[in-house]
Amino acid sequence: MSEQNVGLAMDRDHRGMNLGKEQIAIEVKDWNLFYGSNQALNNITMSLPENRVTAFIGPSGCGKSTLLRCFNRMNDLISIVKVDGSMQLHGEDMYAKEMDVAALRRRVGMVFQKPNPFPKSIYENVCYGLRLQGINDKEVLDQTVEWALKSAGLWDEVKDRLDANALGLSGGQQQRLCIARAIAIKPEVLLLDEPTSALDPISTLAIEELIFELKKDFTILIVTHNMQQAARVSDYTAFMYMGDLIEYTDTDTLFTNPSVKRTEDYISGRYG
Amino acid sequence: MRDWFKQGEHWVWFSAATVSISFVLVVGLILMIAIRGLVHFWPHTVHEIEIKNDQGNIETLVGEIHDTQIKLVSAPDDPNAEVRKVPQWLIKIGNRDVYGTDFRWINTDNIIGQDDRLAKNVTVLERYEWGNVYGQLQSIVRDGEVRAEGGNVKNVLDDLVGTGQSLHDKINHIERVDIGSINYQIEQLRLEEKRLKAENAYDDQAREANETERERLNAEFRDYQEKLEILREQADGLGEARLSLAGGESIQVPIKHIVRMWQPNNMSSADKVGFFFSSIGHFLGGEPREANTEGGVFPAIVGTITMVMLMAIFVTPLGVIAAVYMSEYAREGLVLRLVRISINNLAGVPSIVFGIFGLGFFVYIIGGSIDDLFYSYAQPSPTFGTPGLLWASLTMALLTLPVVIVSTQEGLSRIPSSLREGGLALGATKSETIMKIVLPMSMPAIMTGLILAVARAAGEVAPLMLVGVVKLAPELPVDFNAPFVHLDRKFMHLGFHIYDVGFQSPNVEASQPLVYATSLLLIIIIVSLNLGAITIRNSLREKYKALDN
Repeated sequence: MSEQNVGLAMDRDHRGMNLGKEQIAIEVKDWNLFYGSNQALNNITMSLPENRVTAFIGPSGCGKSTLLRCFNRMNDLISIVKVDGSMQLHGEDMYAKEMDVAALRRRVGMVFQKPNPFPKSIYENVCYGLRLQGINDKEVLDQTVEWALKSAGLWDEVKDRLDANALGLSGGQQQRLCIARAIAIKPEVLLLDEPTSALDPISTLAIEELIFELKKDFTILIVTHNMQQAARVSDYTAFMYMGDLIEYTDTDTLFTNPSVKRTEDYISGRYG
Repeated sequence: MRDWFKQGEHWVWFSAATVSISFVLVVGLILMIAIRGLVHFWPHTVHEIEIKNDQGNIETLVGEIHDTQIKLVSAPDDPNAEVRKVPQWLIKIGNRDVYGTDFRWINTDNIIGQDDRLAKNVTVLERYEWGNVYGQLQSIVRDGEVRAEGGNVKNVLDDLVGTGQSLHDKINHIERVDIGSINYQIEQLRLEEKRLKAENAYDDQAREANETERERLNAEFRDYQEKLEILREQADGLGEARLSLAGGESIQVPIKHIVRMWQPNNMSSADKVGFFFSSIGHFLGGEPREANTEGGVFPAIVGTITMVMLMAIFVTPLGVIAAVYMSEYAREGLVLRLVRISINNLAGVPSIVFGIFGLGFFVYIIGGSIDDLFYSYAQPSPTFGTPGLLWASLTMALLTLPVVIVSTQEGLSRIPSSLREGGLALGATKSETIMKIVLPMSMPAIMTGLILAVARAAGEVAPLMLVGVVKLAPELPVDFNAPFVHLDRKFMHLGFHIYDVGFQSPNVEASQPLVYATSLLLIIIIVSLNLGAITIRNSLREKYKALDN
């Protein structure tokens, strides 16, 4: 595990900030991504602190989701994507040749924009990741399912119908189930890709409270379109625009005293 | 009127008319087949008709009216006479052994007196050979003595026919199953001997073992022969039924030759319904008789189903794996496009071409090689180098492969990518995601493709004629002798049965209703398979609705 004080070293182009004594979970250096010949991410350099919530905001198409998908190598699925630069998870090169992508994805879990439970029972959804690892011990599974559903704030609602089909749950419940499914395999980092954009305000509130609880155990990176949400749930916020990381600092500073004109324009609603 | 054309109304009418015509054609086709097929099983009323024949003599016919037609007749000796339209009836008079023919066309002009007179108390006997007998039941004779006569003779005969039936079943069982099994084992021993001789391993010990075994089987065979002898004697001892025919002749029918008896003109409606269903039972469960023009289609049903099931076993893994590779792994490009085009075109290749391919490649090349390698001792008689069940199923699997591939691909493409990503994000590899999420969810689509393939294979005839279907198979392709499914055997098939009965039959009139009945059976099988496919597809759509919210 690398412990770095990168605050001052990164203090250039307004993209750096003082992370103080934070532990660094993911370290990104000179990260570029191309869709064929189109460059989608330009020279991103940033450090993501452990056990904190970091939000990525920016207008549509700015590359924030693309960047998030780099953290668990979801972009590998698209054959035309080329990347270069370095990305390290606790000091380990995530794009090293010998890296087992499936193992990496077990360490970096992800929750998607649209709830995507499998058409199986609630119970089987949560233990899917465990079964993949060959864990079939009923006791272990039971315990993990209960823990994951409790952590996701879903246990009380579904404990009597664990065998019911997950597709019968409401949208908000499905999304919390997906979170439970992701944390059941105890990842180090949890990626949330606009997790509440398809949900109603009450479900959104439930998930936001959940994020606050989860950061005790996980490093959380969240992409959101909703600036209030970023302000409410995150400790640090990165503003991206056209594939560039424009400004990255603690949330309070970014929303109250942005140092770049573009950030100010965006958060005050002048464009985007 | 001009406005009417201007607004394109005529196109609306035109398209509506084409739809109506198609609909009427489909409904009419099914109705015609259903009516003509089902009428065959209903007990027809038997009429007694007096006609004046060509020689001017009066003749009495007893039989069922099967068909009517209008014939144009001109007087033979007077070329100037007007051509007359004469209605004709086709009468099934039965008694082929007496009259030489089952059916007779008569001119209704020649009918004397009442033409709709019922033949009172007429008895119909269905026989294993020579078709039906229509006549008045007189008596039951055994060893030259009259055993029953008068009022209760019908009930006595009914009982005797029942006994005869159970004896016939027993004899049939011994001949087919028990002796069939012995013959099969003796044949296996003969082949074993040939094989050992070919390997120069037929030493004294092997010879002794072989001969002891053969001796044992022969002894068993003699046992069964004795049993058969006893049963046959019992069947002979049932006696004979004496009937007087329409022309005054009388015939004696051995009771052991009678399949069923009924008196159609004395039956109540309930009796007729009962008879109708028992006829359908005979049809579905019986063996064909009299060059397939009578009896049932049981071997054809078994053959069709066995072939189709084997085909399903071959085509499913092949099609599904090919589809998975093409839609999940293969890189988009020229090659994949060419492969797709080829698969789509494969579905359009005339089926007889598949038959030729099956015969040339599977039977001669593959089957011939298998014979050379493993069954050379049995040559010159071929084992697999001849058309049979295995090659027919493989040919049909090739024929239906495009259907399975295309519908599986459709199913795979319907699985939302978010679910694949969900699986991958939990640390599943691509193949785990496919095996555990994508394929189970595509199961309904795979099933749909499979059922469509089954429906296609069940209805196909042309290629099967080349690769294993025969007019009359001596043995069923499935029986109780290990290995139970005999891949090398030839088999019967409903589609080919229709062709054979309808067009290759010596007795056209007798076989006609069977053609309709068999067609109806085939349509029912295929329609129910398609309904199954539709039901599965609908439930699949329901499942996806839940995913779309």
